[in-house]
Amino acid sequence: MKSVEDWYRHDRMPHIFCTGCGNGTVINCTLEAVMQMGWDIDNTIFISGIGCSSRSPGYITTDSLHTTHGRALAFATGVKLAKPEFDVVVFTGDGDLSAIGGNHFIHACRRNINMTVICMNNMIYGMTGGQGSPCTPAGAISTTTPYGATEPVFDLARLAEASGANYSARWTAYHVKELTKAIKVGMEIPGFSFIEAMTQCPTSYGRRNKLRTTTSMLEYMRDNAVLLNKAKRMEAEGRELSPGRFTVGEFVKRFRPALGVVKDEE
Amino acid sequence: MKLVIDQNLCKGCNLCTMVCPYNIFQEGSELNKKGVVVPELDRPERCTNCRLASLYQRRLCGVCQLICPDQAIKWIEEEPYESMKVVIEY
Repeated sequence: MKSVEDWYRHDRMPHIFCTGCGNGTVINCTLEAVMQMGWDIDNTIFISGIGCSSRSPGYITTDSLHTTHGRALAFATGVKLAKPEFDVVVFTGDGDLSAIGGNHFIHACRRNINMTVICMNNMIYGMTGGQGSPCTPAGAISTTTPYGATEPVFDLARLAEASGANYSARWTAYHVKELTKAIKVGMEIPGFSFIEAMTQCPTSYGRRNKLRTTTSMLEYMRDNAVLLNKAKRMEAEGRELSPGRFTVGEFVKRFRPALGVVKDEE
Repeated sequence: MKLVIDQNLCKGCNLCTMVCPYNIFQEGSELNKKGVVVPELDRPERCTNCRLASLYQRRLCGVCQLICPDQAIKWIEEEPYESMKVVIEY
């Protein structure tokens, strides 16, 4: 019987992520979902771009590609074209996916390529020193927004839904069981599945925003996450979601025809 | 089964102290040899997975293992009890 331990590269551990970084949690959840799917180590590829989150495939024993900034999805499309029978998982961050690879992202959603994309949204550019990203919430302090971010944020799960992805969900690093389940559903569905995992970044984000400890960042996520059903109910009652809160849940699940699905010969 | 924290992997973020429903993980007080304050285990035999995993043949709960960013929490099989010879002295 295989266990999750077989999927880690133990010679590379402990990993370089800061104390309390949520990326390790998302790797755990992904590998747990992969175990439940029963995928083969030799037929799975993890692909990533540049950033903290994109170092994750280096700790997994499968084949992996560590590619250029924002272009992980372009490389993943190439892998899927060359080896359609392989299971492709893309790890990416919010800066990687939404800012620099934004165009690749919407077109990968539109083409509905059969892969699973896991976006670790830590609301900041963590690796380069805490610059503001398109997902930095309004009012948050970062090195490029010293008086508080003023721009509206990108709602990545809704962007994926509007661009045509087959599955789109958002959970946080606190909701580990739900995140695992969402990743598993995303892997089962043929076509493009997008899972946004909100992760904590105590070093670059929390330190400047009065969330210095890891547990306080996780409590922030627990307290500010609103289930999608509740948000819809509140909207029907005419109540607004208070600023700073965000919705979690399954945004879309549909079965549009997908590119790159291997059909059995009949 | 026995719950253990790997002293080489743990970075002391104390996330496990927040999520455990039994409060088995308590914030530690002493530095280990890597200079990390690793959480201490308070009566780990209360853990659901330790008690019932072999009965159900699957992992139960396991939130601490899933949320641990450093993959430091795991369960190891305990060695079965060795039969001891007791000598009673009169």
